[in-house]
Amino acid sequence: MSRVVKKTPSVCTDMPLNNAEVCAKLHLMKELLRSCYGPTGRLKHIRNNIGGRVTTSSSSSVLLPALSSSQPLLNLIKSSILNHISRFSDCGLFAAIFCLSLLEHVRQHELRENLAIKVNKHCLSLCTSYLQREDCACRVKVNFCSSQNLMTLAGSIISSKPACLLTEAEKHHISTMVVRAFLQTIPCSTPGPVTLGHTVTVTIVGLRVLDSAVFPGLLVEMYDPFDQTDSSSGPLRTVLFSTSLAGDLAELGDGTIEVDPDVDTDLQVLNQLLELGKQLVEDEVRLCVCQKVIHPVLQQYLRSHGVVVLERLGMALMEPLSMLAGTQPVATLHARILSTAYGRVKNLSTKQFGFKTMLHLQPEGEAAVCTMVLCHRNETMLDELKVVCQKAEHGLRLTLKEPSALLGGGCTETHLSAYVKHKGQQEASESAAGLGCSPAEFLLGVKVFCRSLDMVARSLEHDGGTSVIDLNHAHHWTVSAGATKEDMVGGLGLCGCGLVENSPSTKWTFLNTEYAEFCPAPLLGDSCRKPTVLDSFTAKVNALQVAVETANLVLDVRYIIEDVN
Amino acid sequence: MLKSVTANQQQYVGLQELSALARTLQPFIGPQKKYRFIQNVRSGESALTCSCFCAIQNLEPTCALGQLVCETLQEHEKIYHTGSGCLMFLAGAWSSAALLGLCQGISVTQIISIMNEGIEICLDAVRKSALLFNGLDVRLSRRSTAAVHGLELSLSEEAFCVASNLPFNFQAPPAKVYQQAQNIRGQRQIKLSRYFCENKSEMVSEFETCSFAHIAEGLSHSCDNLMKLAVEVMQVQSRSNQDITTVTFDISKVTTCVLFGLPEDCSCAVPGCIVLLSDEQVSVFHHLKTKRLKVALIDGDLSHSYHHMGFKRPAGMQHVRDQPSVSESSTEDKWVKKVVKLFLDLGVNLILLTGVACKPMDQNCCRNQILVVEKLNSSVLRTFAQSTGSALVTYPSQLRDHCVGTGVQLALWRDLSCYDRKLVPVNISTEENTGLVTAILTSSVQCKSQLQQDRFWACAYRLHHALKDRALLPGAGRTEMFCIHLLQKQAQNCREKSTNSVPPSAAGTAVALHTSVMLELMADGLMDYITTVMINSGKMSKVEARTIVTRQLQTFDVHQGNATKFPQLVLGNENEAFVFPSRKQTECAPAVEVYDNLCVKQEAWRRALDLVFLVLQTDEEVVSGLDQKMEKDTMML
Repeated sequence: MSRVVKKTPSVCTDMPLNNAEVCAKLHLMKELLRSCYGPTGRLKHIRNNIGGRVTTSSSSSVLLPALSSSQPLLNLIKSSILNHISRFSDCGLFAAIFCLSLLEHVRQHELRENLAIKVNKHCLSLCTSYLQREDCACRVKVNFCSSQNLMTLAGSIISSKPACLLTEAEKHHISTMVVRAFLQTIPCSTPGPVTLGHTVTVTIVGLRVLDSAVFPGLLVEMYDPFDQTDSSSGPLRTVLFSTSLAGDLAELGDGTIEVDPDVDTDLQVLNQLLELGKQLVEDEVRLCVCQKVIHPVLQQYLRSHGVVVLERLGMALMEPLSMLAGTQPVATLHARILSTAYGRVKNLSTKQFGFKTMLHLQPEGEAAVCTMVLCHRNETMLDELKVVCQKAEHGLRLTLKEPSALLGGGCTETHLSAYVKHKGQQEASESAAGLGCSPAEFLLGVKVFCRSLDMVARSLEHDGGTSVIDLNHAHHWTVSAGATKEDMVGGLGLCGCGLVENSPSTKWTFLNTEYAEFCPAPLLGDSCRKPTVLDSFTAKVNALQVAVETANLVLDVRYIIEDVN
Repeated sequence: MLKSVTANQQQYVGLQELSALARTLQPFIGPQKKYRFIQNVRSGESALTCSCFCAIQNLEPTCALGQLVCETLQEHEKIYHTGSGCLMFLAGAWSSAALLGLCQGISVTQIISIMNEGIEICLDAVRKSALLFNGLDVRLSRRSTAAVHGLELSLSEEAFCVASNLPFNFQAPPAKVYQQAQNIRGQRQIKLSRYFCENKSEMVSEFETCSFAHIAEGLSHSCDNLMKLAVEVMQVQSRSNQDITTVTFDISKVTTCVLFGLPEDCSCAVPGCIVLLSDEQVSVFHHLKTKRLKVALIDGDLSHSYHHMGFKRPAGMQHVRDQPSVSESSTEDKWVKKVVKLFLDLGVNLILLTGVACKPMDQNCCRNQILVVEKLNSSVLRTFAQSTGSALVTYPSQLRDHCVGTGVQLALWRDLSCYDRKLVPVNISTEENTGLVTAILTSSVQCKSQLQQDRFWACAYRLHHALKDRALLPGAGRTEMFCIHLLQKQAQNCREKSTNSVPPSAAGTAVALHTSVMLELMADGLMDYITTVMINSGKMSKVEARTIVTRQLQTFDVHQGNATKFPQLVLGNENEAFVFPSRKQTECAPAVEVYDNLCVKQEAWRRALDLVFLVLQTDEEVVSGLDQKMEKDTMML
């Protein structure tokens, strides 16, 4: 008997951005992400309501997947930011905060949506073309002849996540490690197209951060270190299995097989496995690695013939290992293994880290694979450290594509904002005509864009301090909460990125106030000062685009139709 | 649908919760612990506990903070097995400190950097006050002038010495200090080497017997009987270890065996592995007890359905038979027969398992005079594998001649039939000494057995860590007082700096003032810790405890009036003058020196502060998958 259930009609929301509830949620999300931004940002405990592990983080790649909403607009923003993170790792929070503040400011200034979209696009193109220009004052060339800029870039990304709780010495150690790992993954002597290598991250809880290290080759955890030989040298013939050697039958899917009860399927598979083992021994394999579990009987057989056995490698290590040893992963146990599938490993040795025993595999030739062993006292901090190191390494890789970096510490934002404001004012009438609006409207749109950029820079401060910019280079400075006027004149020190020094002649303005537009002056070339905070160029430019385009998309939404069945 | 919610933690609820949680666990701090019942209202079960870790686990926290605390304690306990009370208390005390700092308008970033500075001072002080002992290499560990005076005394009496880093003298250039230290070391080495040449062997034995008892006594923390047991276990173990210079305590080879119904003073340490046998097994044992046995070691269960980890049983498998089967015996019976036949063919009489054996297997083995011992530690099995020349296997079908070990003996450890007919403790041992030791814990009260085990392991691990570190800390609050002293001194320096700074810059003054406030607060946290320990001893009130500590700290200041040679004086002072009246001192007996573990204390402090930092920096909580039941103060996304 079937029942007919009447369908509920879909729910349609008109002008979602005018809805107070939607706006409140957007605001909440903005405040939530804003409070995480920067090296002094606040952390969030992330947990499930039924218990389970608590994650503590301020990283967008951890935070955003945990934020699920009933509001489609929020999910739209979330997924576009997550997409950015999956491609560039860095600047996720920047994109999200910028996008959400754009939306908020557009509403606050009661700007028409279609106009806001046009002006945003215009301002974005101003920014991107300026950033690509040779004389762009907030861009720094990354010089591969020295590691200094690379170190600064890695260091800035690492210090941007306070949940790692690193001291200065530890920060320096970790950034050196990340840069070293990055350099090791660049192959030196390969002719033809260059393929970047892999960095594998291994984490060990309970050791000091300063015990972290980078090793060429691969370190693989051994689950059963008692029966293994200590080290073997000389090239070792290696085989890598991607199929399970546990002795179970292959996945049946939904189907069933009918078996006579007298037939012992387990034994049959085991015999097959031993057959395979025999071939491996005949082919003089010295190292047998499996992604999954190896049957204890097969392990015993192989070990008794002097083969080093490594099981439960895991998916993540498959590609690095096949790259290192030059093997083709074997996916079946029912066919003879071709000799081309075998690879070679130069030597093996065991290394002890705390409670973990690792097998160190070294490549024979130059295979750009290295392992980064990260240690920290506590699992929460270690998780964050791992995320950050991977982010930093990705940031470094992006410099190969575009050897530039942007000034960090909010300076790029304020500088761009001042530039856009100045440019907008200068070309107000032409641009307004081009966009089909009045110059006043156009200037309002530009103001919204600049305010939103300033907002991102202001988000860096969490301890009640205020943000100011200088009226010369438009760099970002922070004034701590208790500081007096005298302090401001004499003791502001360096700007956010560490490139500009305070001088008595410098004029200031608070970032959240109106100020007359000016053309931010480029820094003079003779300054020997180096920036102390740098952001990834590629990631930031893309984040800028993603933020503006997502905001425009959201502004363009007229109706939300929800099927509530 | 999944929804997330953010709970806004205004006013730093997390820090308040943390200090409140720590306060409820206060009775578990220090050597004189108070027992607590934890009752589960739903199931009606209750547990008696006196350890912080046990209590937290039984409380099953559901809030984010509770989870975080639980994880932190678990991580610490997994490695050190002791010190979680100290960790918890300091986390609470320092979170109150951070809270007070916030109330005074100090920013989060500043609090973190100042407290980091504070912990560095403390950890440095801990390192400096460590008493190193190094077996024969006593002289190498002497690195400071601090120990010169009481040199021979400490060697003959204790055979370990006070070591602190080079005396830091602000006026002297580093090179000079180094030279000075070199000279002292040179002189001392000559003196010491003569000492060693004359009666070397005596020295060794002295260290072995006298000093070791001394260390153990100091580490017992009022658990005298169980510490005695732990020392006994260690002595039994080290008897096999011929190399005296490397006395270690291999805790992985220690097992415990609990015997109910016996008075507590029957606890003892026995070489070998002692297990209790069931009624059916006893007859097999009597059959086997005089023989040299062949042993098989199986890492896993002994049953037909058992498979190694990672084996997946196919879901869609059906057994179909074209003829009705004649014999009714199931596959399991067949398997059992096959395996027992294999055992008999190999001549195996004893099977040691990490898992359990299925019932038919058990019965069949008993019938064939094969003894199956279940649920053994895998490290114990490994030891047997090494000493008998056998190998661990996962399945009985893997057993071959070379996997089977020989030379295992069974013996009745003691006839306890007068207490309880069912208690048959049997010792499994090999011909060569394996280092396996069983601690027999006896208890006439059943509910105390878990507690006793916990305390035994705590003692054993304290001993283990002491031997691993080759260092001890002056206990009974001495290290803490040293740290309090240094923190207060640093705080005072900052205060002075803030008033005396020549160009009066407001920001600089504020920073210095904040630093002094925070360091004072941190010192107060440590002060709370020692006073709580004193209060828990039940001999004094909070006021009295605080008075004693404050007075001690004041006398400290008087002694080190000239600040040039400051660390030595402090250390010298400590050893002589500071024996707490609160701990371990009965009216007439002489005071016993109390010690703590170096690495445990360092780690516990560091972890406590890490926990505080994480909570301090967190302002919101994101909860996913919220159902209808809405909590207060939550906002829906």
